[in-house]
Amino acid sequence: MLAYVLRRLWQMVPTLFGVMLLVFILFNVVGGDPSYILAGKGLSDELLASIRSQLGLDKSLLEQFWLFVKQVLTLDFGHSWTTQMPINEVLANRIGPSVMLSGSMLVLDTLISIALAALTAYWRGGLTDRLVTIICTSAMSISVLVYIIVGQYWLGYKFHWFPIQGWGNGWWENMLVYIPLPMLLGLMVSLAPNVRFYRSGFLEEMGQDYVRTARAKGLSERVVVMKHVMRNALIPIVTSIMMSLPYLIIGALLLETFFSIPGMGREVVVAVDKSDFPMIKAVTIYVAIATMVFNLLADIVYKWIDPRVELR
Amino acid sequence: MRKSTLFLASMAAMVMMQTAQAADMSKVLRTAVRYPETGFDPAKVDDLYSQMILENVLDPLVSYDYLAKPAKLIPNTVDALPTISADGKVYTFKIKPGTYFSDDPAFGGKKRELVAEDYVYSFKRFLDPTINSPYSFLLDGRLVGMDEVVKAAGKGPLNYDTPVEGIKAIDKYTLRLTLKNTNHNMMQILAMPVFGAVAREVIEAYKSNTNAHPVGTGPYVLKEWKPGNKIVLEASPSYRKVVFNSQPGKDAVDAEIVKALKGKTLPIVGRIEMSVIEEEQPLWLSFANKQLDYVGVQQAVMSEVLNINPQNPTEATLSDKYAKQGIRLHRLKKMETNYYFFNMDDPQVGGSSKEKIALRRAIAMGFPNLETIATIRRGQAVPANYIVPEGVAGHNPDFRAGVKYDLAAANALLDRFGYKVGADGFRTQPNGQPLVITMGSGTGAIDKQWNEYWQKEFDALKIKLGYQHGKWNELLKASREGKLQMWGSSWFADYPDGENFMQLLYGKNSGDSNGARFKDPEYDRLFEASLKLPDGPERNKLYDEMNKIVVAQQPWIFTDTRITNTVTQPNVKGFKPHALLNAPWRYLDVQ
Repeated sequence: MLAYVLRRLWQMVPTLFGVMLLVFILFNVVGGDPSYILAGKGLSDELLASIRSQLGLDKSLLEQFWLFVKQVLTLDFGHSWTTQMPINEVLANRIGPSVMLSGSMLVLDTLISIALAALTAYWRGGLTDRLVTIICTSAMSISVLVYIIVGQYWLGYKFHWFPIQGWGNGWWENMLVYIPLPMLLGLMVSLAPNVRFYRSGFLEEMGQDYVRTARAKGLSERVVVMKHVMRNALIPIVTSIMMSLPYLIIGALLLETFFSIPGMGREVVVAVDKSDFPMIKAVTIYVAIATMVFNLLADIVYKWIDPRVELR
Repeated sequence: MRKSTLFLASMAAMVMMQTAQAADMSKVLRTAVRYPETGFDPAKVDDLYSQMILENVLDPLVSYDYLAKPAKLIPNTVDALPTISADGKVYTFKIKPGTYFSDDPAFGGKKRELVAEDYVYSFKRFLDPTINSPYSFLLDGRLVGMDEVVKAAGKGPLNYDTPVEGIKAIDKYTLRLTLKNTNHNMMQILAMPVFGAVAREVIEAYKSNTNAHPVGTGPYVLKEWKPGNKIVLEASPSYRKVVFNSQPGKDAVDAEIVKALKGKTLPIVGRIEMSVIEEEQPLWLSFANKQLDYVGVQQAVMSEVLNINPQNPTEATLSDKYAKQGIRLHRLKKMETNYYFFNMDDPQVGGSSKEKIALRRAIAMGFPNLETIATIRRGQAVPANYIVPEGVAGHNPDFRAGVKYDLAAANALLDRFGYKVGADGFRTQPNGQPLVITMGSGTGAIDKQWNEYWQKEFDALKIKLGYQHGKWNELLKASREGKLQMWGSSWFADYPDGENFMQLLYGKNSGDSNGARFKDPEYDRLFEASLKLPDGPERNKLYDEMNKIVVAQQPWIFTDTRITNTVTQPNVKGFKPHALLNAPWRYLDVQ
């Protein structure tokens, strides 16, 4: 296991290098020139040249890339070109709210969708199954923007059940007051496809020989589903969850924007819009690292769930 | 003994400072804006939202009277407006003794008085090569001896200790500015919030992130900042005693404001909370829900909030639903000119030959300006008819620079000047070459709306139209390099003087603020002559001549000047929109 983990960690290096190269090339080809934003109204040649020099954009591409390499090695991406705030400070402030919203959505989404998927698979073809399928299909067909606009208006403004928007200073205040409405609206969209996906997984497993054997042994349907089917159906579920985890960092742009949640979603958009390369670099690298780490964790979890899985 | 004396002195200072605190700390004013601020280092920021904060934290030498129309300069941290030499080059300011910075650890626990040297330092920062100030152009090349100091710095930091003749502290409270040439806008420039004083100790103490530590002598201090989300200001205990004494002007609301505020010590409200709410729906719902005290009315809710006169959309009142709640509407024309420019260096649309002028004129005639005002602007704009907008010194309300909309005449003009319709149904150039015009365009929803109108017009004129889509900075770069044929632009007054607008077509600014790359010797001559004149009939005559040149050459298609609508809750007293004071929080009361 240790050898496997070390080998996988070593394989991350070229992958990360590839990501760095791609981001660097993309920024230099289509990233835009930040000096035009930073110069304000006075676009003199001297000022533009001075800004480029200060940002290091007058250096050769090789030197610029070497700086990028050093930044990745130290995980210090310097300061934002737009606000001049330290990048790591910005990320530290922004990732928290994003993870709080997206993380709580993911936890609830996982628990509810697994439960509903198990129920519908258990009563497949029945009224519950049909009802859940119809609701899921309907829910999936509506845009998240519609949920947000309607939900904010009715649940926030008309009924006063939730605040319309905002963000507090304390963890509990945010979790209990400001997170519930955007989380609820986010779940309306994310829950349905997961329920359908997990249900398919459960049904596929329920058609397997070992299930028939378990039933033949006289085990109750509940034990068959909860103990035998669930374990094997967890593999695609774990994959799905592990693939979602890195994106917690990026946040949910629409929800954050409409509910004034100071998360990463908006920050990334602003960074791209303003050609704030240090911010783009930092977010890309952290997401790439998170993706690779969670991929590795997913494989380890597979092994834990099903000892027959071989790690190569 | 010495310790106890120090203690007593500091206690006395604290008592003095507390008594200077006039604001009611239990009063909170809550507002919101749609876009995030950048930061609060005055030399580094140029966005409106950052400047709203700076306006309340820092103190420029001079400011504007709250009620006077047209805008009237008043002393701020100075005893009186400066004495100006006969040649208009030397300004001498006398700073009020007893003006103090807000407390900050950088001051080592002592009260820090504002002195002339603080302005010397603050102004020099705009020309520091390591700061790259977006407002450097306002001081660059204007102050005697400053160019040499900047040159000596090269790419490195400015030597702030080098004496500069043009920015000099004569004594503790006397500041003297010496200009290379007469500049009749200097006072308006110095009234901008970014030209407020900062303390050198503070800047040096927080040099790793000066954007996060604004410390000034203004009425408020930055208490909390969640970047892009929420900014909280609290009344500064160190703020000097300022009593409201504006005289009512012509506006009906003035007398009411004077009655409410006369003799009151400013600021009145103890705490300001400014949120960033980027979407229109939550912004409006938060106001309607009484979670905000005042906001700008956004496009999406205009039809619900305003009763717009269909005969004259610029006439608008608050809809009954909101008027009944005691909510009040405040309207103001922005000091801006919006326009589309042609690249005058472009072989297809530029140049001054008759057929090129005819092409530009036809495109201008085909643009449905009144329609875009009615639909895209929801009627909340007026056609722009002069380079200098209303409210800015030098504006002529009787001039009509805009071209009358007439598609038939536009097509006839193109026919007459040899823009024949080819086999493909589109016009060619008079020399038979294909005619394809490319317009710069952003990628937002609003850009799409504008493009639909342009497409419709160009189809009607039988001219092929293409778009060069891109981010704003990419388009700006393309424009600067002369690679755009047409692009929409907007200029908002940095200071309320016509020169700030007339320079948009000055030849030497070609590729800089002069996006049209318009180079007309007569226009340039008149512009240079106008620089020597103060605001008045003589200069206005020159401005009229310059506008006539622009009408004749058509480097621009004049579009509009927007009207802002702001609503306040019934408990907000003293609000009046001001074209140059973007956040008049010190004058507001919340009951």
